[in-house]
Amino acid sequence: MRTEFITTNIAIAEGAIMAGMKFYAGYPITPASDLFEYLAERLPQAGGLTVQFEDEIASINAVIGASWAGAKSMTATSGPGFSLMVEGLGFAIITETPLVVVDIMRAGPSTGVPTKATQSDVYQVRFAPHGIYSIPVLIPWSAQEGFDLAIRAFNIAEALRTPVIILSDAVLAHAWEKVRIKDLTEIKVIDREMPQLKNKNSWLNQKSDLVPPMKVFGRGYGAKVESLIHDERGWYIPNNETYRKLVWRLVRKIEDKARFLWDSVTYLTEDSDYLVYAYGSVARPAYAAVKELRKESIRIGLFRPRTLWPFDYFNLKKASMKVKKVFVVENNEGKIFREVQRHLRGKEVIPLPLIDLEVPPPEDIVDSIREWL
Amino acid sequence: MMGNKLRHPLSKYLLEDRLPHSWCPGCGIGIALGSILRAIDKKVKEGAIDYNKLVLVTGIGCSARAAFYVRFDSAHTIHGRAIPFASGVKLANPSLTVLVFGGDGDIAGIGGNHLIHAARRNMDLLVFMITNFVYAMTGGQVAPTTPTGLYTTTTPKGNPERPLNAIKLVASQNPNYVARASATHPALIEQYTYKALNMEGFRFIEIISMCPEVFGRHIGFNDPVTLYKTLKSKSIVKDKPSLDESDYDWNHGWILGEYVLRRNPGYLTTLRRYEG
Amino acid sequence: MRKEFLAAGRGGQGILLLGHVLGHAVAKYTKFYVTVTESYDAETRGGDSKIDFIIADKPEELDYFKVRNSDVALFMYPEQLVKYERLVKDNAIVFIDNYFIKEVRANRKWLIKEAPYTQIAEEKIGTHVVANMIALGHIIKVTKLVPVEAIIKSIKEVVRKKWIYIDIKAFQKGLTL
Ligand SMILES: Cc1ncc(C[n+]2csc(CCOP(=O)(O)OP(=O)(O)O)c2C)c(N)n1
Repeated sequence: MRTEFITTNIAIAEGAIMAGMKFYAGYPITPASDLFEYLAERLPQAGGLTVQFEDEIASINAVIGASWAGAKSMTATSGPGFSLMVEGLGFAIITETPLVVVDIMRAGPSTGVPTKATQSDVYQVRFAPHGIYSIPVLIPWSAQEGFDLAIRAFNIAEALRTPVIILSDAVLAHAWEKVRIKDLTEIKVIDREMPQLKNKNSWLNQKSDLVPPMKVFGRGYGAKVESLIHDERGWYIPNNETYRKLVWRLVRKIEDKARFLWDSVTYLTEDSDYLVYAYGSVARPAYAAVKELRKESIRIGLFRPRTLWPFDYFNLKKASMKVKKVFVVENNEGKIFREVQRHLRGKEVIPLPLIDLEVPPPEDIVDSIREWL
Repeated sequence: MMGNKLRHPLSKYLLEDRLPHSWCPGCGIGIALGSILRAIDKKVKEGAIDYNKLVLVTGIGCSARAAFYVRFDSAHTIHGRAIPFASGVKLANPSLTVLVFGGDGDIAGIGGNHLIHAARRNMDLLVFMITNFVYAMTGGQVAPTTPTGLYTTTTPKGNPERPLNAIKLVASQNPNYVARASATHPALIEQYTYKALNMEGFRFIEIISMCPEVFGRHIGFNDPVTLYKTLKSKSIVKDKPSLDESDYDWNHGWILGEYVLRRNPGYLTTLRRYEG
Repeated sequence: MRKEFLAAGRGGQGILLLGHVLGHAVAKYTKFYVTVTESYDAETRGGDSKIDFIIADKPEELDYFKVRNSDVALFMYPEQLVKYERLVKDNAIVFIDNYFIKEVRANRKWLIKEAPYTQIAEEKIGTHVVANMIALGHIIKVTKLVPVEAIIKSIKEVVRKKWIYIDIKAFQKGLTL
C-alpha cells in the first residue's frame, strides 16, 4: 500500500489500472481530459494502451471492440461527449460487453459551463440509451472513493458482463486528496468467465443462466457479437419469445443482483427525526450541514448512496423508518427526489434543489432545511 | 454435422445453418463475400493466416449482414461504427486479422469520419466497402455514392448532388492499399483481397455491386440481369490507374484497379517504435 | 480536528504550487487527511489564484471542499485580500506579503505575520518567482503544520527538477523569518 496526494480523476485512473485495465480510448473534454493525459503516461507502464480517437462515438466503440478482444477497457467523458456515446452504450448493453465509462458531470444542458459542476446527468447515465435494460452507476464523494469505486466498477462489469458508469463531477475531478493506493494483495479482482471450449456452444450449461460466459475473440469460439435482438448463439430472431428472454435477462442480471450492488452509507441516523438524502460531491456539504444542525440539538442524519443505480430503496427505507421528514439535497432541479418520493410513499419527502456551480455550501443547505423544520 | 450431404465449398467459413441468406436474388453482396472468403481460404491453407484469429466486423445495412453468415468470430455492430470497433479489437489483440465489411452509407456516409481517420492512422485493418449506390436496407434512399441525376426515394426528381469518390478520399490519407473492384468481376475481388490480407496498415477495397431491388428497379432495370450487364459494361479494368481516373459518373462508368500500393509501417508497428 | 487554510494572490505568484507542495507533504508524510481545491482565472493573466486547503484527522471531517472560516491565511496581493478576507476568521494567523500589500484594512482581530516575500525572493534568491516558497517557509515556521523535512521531501517529489534546489533554498530562507 502507498499513499498519494492526487485528484479524483487520477484516483479513478489508478483504480482502473489496479483492476487490470489495459485499453483506454477517449476524446478530450473538460473536466475529463486530465484523466486521459495521466493515463497516456501511466497506462503504457502498466502494459496497456491509450488512443485518442476522432470523437466520443469512435472512442466508445473502440472500447467495446477492445473488450471483445479480451482487454479490460474504459473511456471517460463529460455531458456533451456522453451524449455522443449513448448509441454505443446501448450497443455495449445488448452485447453484454464489460467496460467502464467515467462520466464527469459538468453544468448542462449543452456546452453549459465546462469547468463547473452540477449533478444534472443522474438520469442521463441510467436512461439515455433506448430500449429495455438496467445499468449500474457508482457515485464517489472523494478521491479515495474514486479509486475504490473504479476497482468495484470493473469487477461488476466483468462479473455481470455489463457496462458500468462511474459518475463523478467537475469539483471532485480536480479536488486533490490523500488516497491510499492499495496493493493487488489487498483487493479482489474479478475477471470475466469464458466458456469451456468443449461445450462452446452451450453457455446454458454454465454456472449462471443470467450471465453467459463471454466468447472473447481469437480463441476459436466463433463468437457472434450482435446488436440486434438475438438468442444465446447470437443469432437475430425477431420474435416475442427471444426478445422477452433477452431483455428480461438484461434487466434481471442487474436488478436481481441489486443487493450486492447497493452500497449506501449512513451518518448520525440512529436517533434521527430527520434524514438528508444526498449523493456525490453534494453529500459533503450536506454532511457539514447535518453536523451544524446537530449543534442546535436537531436530530438529523445523512443517507448517502455510493451506488446510484440500481436505486437503493431497501437501505433507504430502513434508514428512514422512524424519521418524520426526508430532505433530498441535490445540485439540479430535483431529479432523484422523484425516485426517493416514489419509494417512500406516505413519508414526507422534501426536494431541496440547490443549483450551484460551486457545489452548494453548507449554510445554504442548513437554511433550506430550517425552513421545513 | 451435415452427415454425407453435399457441403458448401466454403463450409469451413460459412455458418450453413443460417443459410439461405437474406440477400435478394441478383444482389452482389454474396458474390463479394464469397470472393473474399475464397481469398482467405487460400491464405489459411498456405498457413499465412490462422483461422481462429479471423474477425469480421460490420456495421448495419444489407452488406453488414455478412457478419451473420461467417463461422469464425464476427461482430454485427451499429450503423457506421464498424471501423472504430475493429480498431479497438486490433489494438487490444494485434494477433488478430481484422476485416471490416460494410455498405457505402455505413462506411463512407455515417461512418465517413472514422474512415478518414483510420486511413490517416494507417490502422491495421482491411476494409471492404460495398458500393451499391443506394441505402438498400432502408429501402432505396440516396447514398453518398449515388451518381448525379439518378432517382432514389429521397431524391424523387433525381439526385442533385455529386457522388463521393471514396478512392480519392481514402487515398488522400496515404494508407497502404486502395483498390476498386466490382461484384461483376469476382476474380478481381479475390485477387485484391489475397494481396491485401497479409499487408500491414490500412487497406481499402471498394466493391461496386448491384442492388436490383431498390436501386436497379427504381431506375428502370426491371430484371437483375440487365442491371448486372449494365454495371459490367460501366466497369473498366485498368492496370495501375491514376487517382484522377477514380472519379466516376453514371454515363462514363468507373475504373477498377489498384490505385495505391505501398508498404509503410502500419499503426501498430509505428506505435511500437514510439513506445520503444 | 479540522483546520482551514486559504492562500490567495494573483496568477503567476505560485499559489497553486504552494498548495500542491503543502498538500503532498500532509498527505504523504503526516497522519492527517487533506482536501485541496484550486481556483484560478484561466482567461486573464494576473487574475485570481486561490487555494482552499482543509486538513483533518478523520476523512469525514473533510466535509465541504471550500474554506469558509480560515484558521490560517496567506495573502500575496492586495486585490485578493479585499476579495477573500471575509473567509478568514477572527484570531486567525494571517501571512501577508507586505511588498505588495501596504496596509491591511480588514477590521478583524488577526494575528498578522508579514514580510516582503517577493522582495526577499528577488534579493536573496535571485528571482521573484520563489516568493511562494519563502512564504511557505514562514508559514511552516510559525504554524508548525508539518515537519520541515516533510516539506523538503515534498518539494523534491512535486517540483520540476531544475527548480528543486532553488525552491528548497527559498523555503529555508522563509524558515528564518
Ligand atoms: C444511427 C442509425 N441511423 C439510421 C439507421 C437506419 N439504417 C440502417 S441501414 C442504413 C443504410 C444502409 O445503407 P448502406 O450502409 O449503404 O448499406 P446497404 O444496405 O446498402 O448494404 C440505415 C440508414 C440505423 N440503423 N442507425
